Amino acid sequence: MSLTINLTVNGNTQSATAEPSTSLLDFLRDTLNYKGTKLCCNTGECGACTIIYNGKPINSCVTLAADANGAEIVTIEGLADGDKLHPVQQAFIDTGAVQCGYCTPGYIISVKVLLDRTKEPTPEDIEEAVSGNICRCTGYTKIVDAIQLAADRMAGRS
Amino acid sequence: MDYFEPKTITEALSVLAKYGEHANVIAGGTDVMVDMKYKEEPGCLVNIKKIPGLDTIQENGASLQMGPLVTIRDIETSRLVRERLPLLWESCHQFASLQIRNTATIGGNICRASPSGETLAPLLALEAKAKLAFRDGEKTEAFISFFQGPGKTSLGSKGLLTEIEIPYPPKGSHGVYLKHAVRGAMAATLACAKLGAVYLPIFSGYAADAVATRLQDAEATVLITADAGNSSLQDVRIALGAVAPTPIRATKTEALLRGRSLTAALVKEAATLAASESSPITDQRSSAEYRGWIVEALTRRGLEQSWKAASGKEVV
Repeated sequence: MSLTINLTVNGNTQSATAEPSTSLLDFLRDTLNYKGTKLCCNTGECGACTIIYNGKPINSCVTLAADANGAEIVTIEGLADGDKLHPVQQAFIDTGAVQCGYCTPGYIISVKVLLDRTKEPTPEDIEEAVSGNICRCTGYTKIVDAIQLAADRMAGRS
Repeated sequence: MDYFEPKTITEALSVLAKYGEHANVIAGGTDVMVDMKYKEEPGCLVNIKKIPGLDTIQENGASLQMGPLVTIRDIETSRLVRERLPLLWESCHQFASLQIRNTATIGGNICRASPSGETLAPLLALEAKAKLAFRDGEKTEAFISFFQGPGKTSLGSKGLLTEIEIPYPPKGSHGVYLKHAVRGAMAATLACAKLGAVYLPIFSGYAADAVATRLQDAEATVLITADAGNSSLQDVRIALGAVAPTPIRATKTEALLRGRSLTAALVKEAATLAASESSPITDQRSSAEYRGWIVEALTRRGLEQSWKAASGKEVV
């Protein structure tokens, strides 16, 4: 059996069908062609598949596509304003917080949600916000630097 | 695979009756989705998230009533839970990652019946009850008998958890939830113990085959109630997680402590006894012997910390 799923992705209304067992991640990547969100552990542990679901960061690999019916989804493709990158994206580039880049979309989504909530994140806020995202290449120092830089820029401090 | 989104509990129960053991109930999906990918697809998936009214937290006299679809994040951000049920709050605060807490539900954590389920030892220490619905009626059952083995509960394949009732701990009680895990955010509970009146939940690393991934080393929940003069333990509850096929209460240890004045020697004796009440296994995360040590250490710390919170004094 297949289900019809009506949802909003990055502000655009979409409709497509999915099998009941399909994950939201596979639905976004393979059916709707949003390839920016990454498949990595596929068990909800690494955070590479993080998207914003009705305002909250979730792991799309362990969420049913069926549960996205009627939902508002934001993926990494929805952050830039035309050619102008989102401040979090720009900060990751400027601090060199990227090596292979596979975990990066998940990090940037988690950080965007954090900075939408607070312009002055504490070190504890930052740690909590990205504790569900794993990077296997870098140390985490530059990622934390990037988050701080993005926070400063978004608050007009830098 | 067949798929249903029932709108009522009655409707869900009739689907479960029809498909029996071939039906899987799904809520947040953080465990069920992984099973579907790496084990077997069920004959039928019953998504209960569309049933209204199961996602609220309400105070009812001296207890909280929680719907099974309340997410771990809902609990973590509830001021009521934080103030009245700090043991449960702490277990949810330390639960996996933010992304998982945003989707995982307390009902899922309970019905999964993993020995290392984060909220289970606190629920045992708090003496919480489950309201269960079957086709032939409802019943209320304490969690201590609800958990029957890894992945096994008294719901069987026919019932639904419809509410969790958590009484507030006795006035003047103090408790602590301690978890020993490899990686803070994502490690599953290795061992969990809970002491009451000093209530202590301790979890220590029991990985059943069905739940072998995402395990922690140990958890302990201790909840104590000191007497009026803070000279002895009026009540003690100790719950341990991840160190037996189900979360357990360390009843012999509780009996040893009840009515006694807490000394360093008694704490040591109690910690050793608590470890002997656990039956951890060896898996890729830790050995059974190591987990036993963790139960001992967490019980000791749980008692010391709870006593200090209750009396303002160190255990000597």
